[in-house]
Amino acid sequence: MLAGGVIYTETLVHSAPEQFVAEAPYQLVIVTLDATGAKVTGRMNPPDRVVIGDHVDFDHDRNGTPYFRRSAV
Amino acid sequence: MRIASVAGTLEPCSSYNFSTPVLLQTLKQRYPDLSMRSVVVAGIGKTSFGALVDRDLRSLAVEAGHKCLENAHVLPTQVEAFYLGNFAGPSFVGQNHLAPYVAGAMEITGVPATRFEAACASSGAAFFHAVMAVAAGIHDVILVVGVEKMTSQPTPKVAEILARAGDSTGEVRAGATFPALFAMIARRHMYQYGTTREMLAAVAVKNHANGARNPQAHMRKVITMEQALAGKPIADPLTVYDCSLVSDGAAAVLVTTAERAEEFTSKPIRVLGISQISDHVALEAKSDITRFDAVATAARKAYTMAGLEPQHIDLAEVHDCFTIAEIIATEDLGFVEKGGGGRFVLDGKTALTGALPVNTSGGLKAKGHPVGATGVGQICDLVIQMRGEAGDRQVERARTGLAQNLGGSGATAVVSILGVQ
Repeated sequence: MLAGGVIYTETLVHSAPEQFVAEAPYQLVIVTLDATGAKVTGRMNPPDRVVIGDHVDFDHDRNGTPYFRRSAV
Repeated sequence: MRIASVAGTLEPCSSYNFSTPVLLQTLKQRYPDLSMRSVVVAGIGKTSFGALVDRDLRSLAVEAGHKCLENAHVLPTQVEAFYLGNFAGPSFVGQNHLAPYVAGAMEITGVPATRFEAACASSGAAFFHAVMAVAAGIHDVILVVGVEKMTSQPTPKVAEILARAGDSTGEVRAGATFPALFAMIARRHMYQYGTTREMLAAVAVKNHANGARNPQAHMRKVITMEQALAGKPIADPLTVYDCSLVSDGAAAVLVTTAERAEEFTSKPIRVLGISQISDHVALEAKSDITRFDAVATAARKAYTMAGLEPQHIDLAEVHDCFTIAEIIATEDLGFVEKGGGGRFVLDGKTALTGALPVNTSGGLKAKGHPVGATGVGQICDLVIQMRGEAGDRQVERARTGLAQNLGGSGATAVVSILGVQ
């Protein structure tokens, strides 16, 4: 199970591939995990939005993709 | 065959050199049996790039191939091997077994005909392997064609097919498109080096200005900085003007030895150095996404092979699939220090009249990006400049040219350095 991490990079995707058109815009993120330092690609849990350096926590998994939420300050 | 014996030479052929006396000497000491040959591009052929609604994949590839053979004064029966660069013909047009499918239509049969797939570096890879096969003495005359037919599918479907060049078990499943991956690269580059939206837009403005001078470009339209900045958002911070075009098109080159070229052409262009290098497919697997290690390594090897340094390059065609990719390419290729690529383009250093013209063809941004055709197309564009045939986009000094072709978000890189003999 993934825990928290820091946003390494992010983008808000407006123009989505065919299977995700209905979900756009959505924020795609690469998170550097606190525990291992490894990077993992996932999504922000709407309506949360983040910038590089923000801390996030794992929220849930959907079809193998981790969804993150902003950490409480 | 110039090689002493097949058994004795197949293994040493993992290292090549085509021109540099010092390296040649070193390699010969290590591999006494190794005999390498000078390789040249003896002919080029391109279709126009664009949304060519009434053209299918094969007719585009055949047109480029025929133009190339005509340009090189070579007959189909003289072609000893046929290499095809194509990324996603099976997905875009539902045809597999593409190399003999195209070669047969050119009346080229009875030879090895092979398709190379390396995402957007497919035909760069085909060119690399053709150069190696000729250098090694396996073949004398190879026709390399790159082709892609993309516009027969709606944009979301195109985005989905292109995304298959990414990691389908991670980033793609999460909803990444290629614009999204390069948007994340751009965000990080902006964060680490202070690169700005204006610097990204400067790439688009420059390449559109060059493309407007290229009669075979997909989009021959000059744009302003204001337009580029106000484009429709695709994946923040990238707008539609930061993204290359979805195009149909084909390009071809004839690869042969310097010796054989004398039979065919008075304008051979020498391959001085070339390298193809791989890296992880997934963006998250790279330690620093603001550089492409595969490009830097391929460049280093190609420079060494050519006996040249970045400052010796007169002009370059680089893989501007997105504006940020051109900025990073100029850094990875050693034209400017790391992080300085944005300022380099904004200051006009890479303009047609700059110190180092980059993408005089209009680049993928304006010339168009039929992905499987792009690598060979870049070689054609360099040759056009180096022969002095570039018309009103001709640069003054074009004796040494470099092409950089990128696959995916950096998992394949091909760097080629060409020189006028």
